[in-house]
Amino acid sequence: MLKRALACATLLLAIQVFVHAAQAIQVTPLVRDGRVYVSFRLSDAFDNEEIRAAIHSGMTITFVYDVELRRAAAVWLDRTLESSTVSAGVRYDNLARRYQVTLSADGRLESSRTLEREDLARESLTRFDRLDLFSSARLEPNAEYYVRVRARTTPRNTAFVWPWQGTDVAGLAKFTFLR
Amino acid sequence: MATTLRDVRPPALTETPPPLPHAPARRPFRDNPRLILLGILVLLVALVAMVTLADRAPDFNPNFLTEVLLYALSVADLTMLLALGFVLARNIVKLLVERRHGLPFSRFRAKLVGAMLGLTIIPALLVLLVGSELIRSSMQKWVSQPADALLTSARQIAHEYYREREDEVVQHAGAIARAVPPSLVRDGAADAIRRTLEAHASAGPGRKVEVYRLTPESTPVLLASVQPAAGGTEPHPPGEVLASRVIRGSGNTAHEPLAGGGELVQAGALIVEPGSNLPVGVVVASEQVTGAVATETRNVIAAYQSYTRSLVLRRPLQGMYLSLFVMMTLMILVSATWMGLYLAKRITRPVQMLAQGAREIGAGHLDHRIEPETRDEFGSLIEAFNSMAGEVAAGQRTLERSRLDLERKNLELEERRRYIETVLERIATGVVSIGADGRIQTVNGAALRLLDVDRSIVGTAAEQVFAREDLQALGGLVRQAYAGSGHAANEVTMARDGRELHLASAATALQREDGNVEGAVLVFDDVTPLIRTQRVAAWRDVARRLAHEIKNPLTPIQLCAERMQRHFTTAPPAARELVDECTSTIVGEVESLKGLVDEFAHFARMPAPKAVPEDLHLMLTDALALYNGLFHNIRIERRFDESLPPVRIDIEQLRRVVINLVDNAVEALGGGSAPAHTANGGPTIMVETRHDPAQGVARILVADNGPGISAADRDKLFMPYYSTKRRGSGLGLAIVRRIIVEHGGSIEVHDNQPKGTRFVIELPL
Repeated sequence: MLKRALACATLLLAIQVFVHAAQAIQVTPLVRDGRVYVSFRLSDAFDNEEIRAAIHSGMTITFVYDVELRRAAAVWLDRTLESSTVSAGVRYDNLARRYQVTLSADGRLESSRTLEREDLARESLTRFDRLDLFSSARLEPNAEYYVRVRARTTPRNTAFVWPWQGTDVAGLAKFTFLR
Repeated sequence: MATTLRDVRPPALTETPPPLPHAPARRPFRDNPRLILLGILVLLVALVAMVTLADRAPDFNPNFLTEVLLYALSVADLTMLLALGFVLARNIVKLLVERRHGLPFSRFRAKLVGAMLGLTIIPALLVLLVGSELIRSSMQKWVSQPADALLTSARQIAHEYYREREDEVVQHAGAIARAVPPSLVRDGAADAIRRTLEAHASAGPGRKVEVYRLTPESTPVLLASVQPAAGGTEPHPPGEVLASRVIRGSGNTAHEPLAGGGELVQAGALIVEPGSNLPVGVVVASEQVTGAVATETRNVIAAYQSYTRSLVLRRPLQGMYLSLFVMMTLMILVSATWMGLYLAKRITRPVQMLAQGAREIGAGHLDHRIEPETRDEFGSLIEAFNSMAGEVAAGQRTLERSRLDLERKNLELEERRRYIETVLERIATGVVSIGADGRIQTVNGAALRLLDVDRSIVGTAAEQVFAREDLQALGGLVRQAYAGSGHAANEVTMARDGRELHLASAATALQREDGNVEGAVLVFDDVTPLIRTQRVAAWRDVARRLAHEIKNPLTPIQLCAERMQRHFTTAPPAARELVDECTSTIVGEVESLKGLVDEFAHFARMPAPKAVPEDLHLMLTDALALYNGLFHNIRIERRFDESLPPVRIDIEQLRRVVINLVDNAVEALGGGSAPAHTANGGPTIMVETRHDPAQGVARILVADNGPGISAADRDKLFMPYYSTKRRGSGLGLAIVRRIIVEHGGSIEVHDNQPKGTRFVIELPL
């Protein structure tokens, strides 16, 4: 038991997590038991009046998170080892004033909940803990990797002239895989 | 060959390959009415699609609107912008190239396109700016404070109404949960429970009530259910899901819209043991909120959501409308540009085709025609051009025929001129023409030979040429022709290589019809052989008469002398001796005169040669054999040309010629008293033959290295009765010449090199 606790502590200490305070998404990767667990949190999502208005308009608003496990390259583009898409959709019932939140990963429906409180709904849409997304089998020992999460909402509240403007927010966290 | 727009190319460019003979010419888009109509139809469809799109945009799925449609419109706008830029850039480049090559109407076309763009771009941009501002302002006006407040209040009312109904159902479910004994639920007494439910049915009319029992695994199992007959328009769905949520504590209410309108409201309540508060079952009450109020409630919510959705999607919608507006503006600009180009082409192309056609005609392609593409004034102009080109081609063909005739006549004239020139060159008569400027224009070969000049005299003043001493007589003849009646003739004698040359000459002034003299022609013929022949004939006549007149009295003289000699045989010795001496002298001289007369007679009556092909070398060998051993100090050498063919000769007469010449040579070398041969040579006679196939003659050369003959004697050498020998009759070489002449040949005498005399006989082959 003690050994296991020490191993976990060592592993946790070895993971270097860089969460920038200014980042909109705080990402926390965790490697354990051959899996890479990812926790991330989107800050200030519901403080955006546009998002709140969009949700309260009764439209289905989906928060789409593209989670990528990547390895930095010195002279070339970083290599994406694995990727996954996590979606959290919310539909607000103006009559009952309830939030119906649906979670899915890579197209698979994971859960569907009806919430009456906005803070709970926001929590459900923006906070994800220890999502089992990737395998650590392909990771090389003592190599540095990072997990990048990019978030966007659909429908986009984009404008004319150049709809490709970057409205996505992103965050990443580096870690060294120790075995 | 016809000009189409494809033919209108900048000049001095590389030649375009001719079109394939059987490949049908593909009409460009702008000339194809079907394609133009199709293009207009596509534009109209695009416009209708845009209007429809703008009209139905608020109803589109927001994701489709923002994730697909907006991107597609932006891509379409960018594409059209690029197309417009490409068309403009292409035409600017074309304009620059055409101006550089000086192609006509390039500036006009640029101006027309510029005018069309100017006329459309300013209004289009103004419309775009005003329209976008209108869209923006109208979008802003979507936010209406009264409407916002009204819809918010309506939504609040609807929510309160719904909450009230929901609270009633919750209370009803709670009341039933309290009324149903937990023991019945635990025991599964469904009938007893149903009776309890029927007893409370009046508290919630139209409500369905279900009672679930909890299994040990906390799973709800339906025990009893009561639904009044007038409980709603649709069957109630089972409340098992809500029961589970109630058991889990994750909510006690649920609702969902009904297909026929209205709302299904469900509420659940736990049935707990009174003492332990442990749940044993769940009561789920369901009520269909239907009727006008429920429908209006839902409508209010729908209106509110539509309103707020419009506000939320205001920016994408505004973007879409603006995108459509930009698209229309770009379509107008592209259309205006294309229309400008089209009009410019329509106007300038016929003129360019005419210019190109004129260039083709100018380049000599008279069969070039322009294909008329329209029936308007330009078409008439092109038809007139084609008509003109046809007439020019016909005229050109006539001219070409005339030119060919002239060329043929020139060729004939040239042929004739060459023929005359050849004749002039070949004839033995010398011809010299003198131009109006007094310079010699032409001179033929015979003239060159007779006058002993070369062709460099052509272009030289005649006065200068004829100033030479031996030619002054000819110059005088020309002057007489100029000065007199235009013609002057005379026999001119001149010395040539120590011999006399007799020329029968005539000069004629060339007078034009107007009397002006444009030159003169001098003709002269070598009549020296004729003169010689005449002289020989005269001598022959003289010889014949002389022989006749002399020979007749010789016999009586001789007889008289013999008679005198016989008569004085008895005279005294002194007298007899004198008579004998005198008569012997007389008889001897008479004999000598007889021999002379015989020779004269022979000269006068020499028979015509009987020429047959003979071996000249054999004749020469026989003739020279006569001298073998006669003159030991004189060497007679032979040098025969083995290629010499048989020659037509009278062998006896030719033998006499050769013997005569060799005799003369032997005598010139001293005869029997010739000096002996030394290391430096000695008296030698060379007899040589030569074959000249080019001139068709055989030559016999007899040369000696004796003292030679002076130039003064050389010309008289062949004259009868001329002899440099003390005892010669002077007929030997005259006979030789006569024999050679009667063989059709000639004989000439030259100095031998380094000394001596050389006779050259030419006999025709």
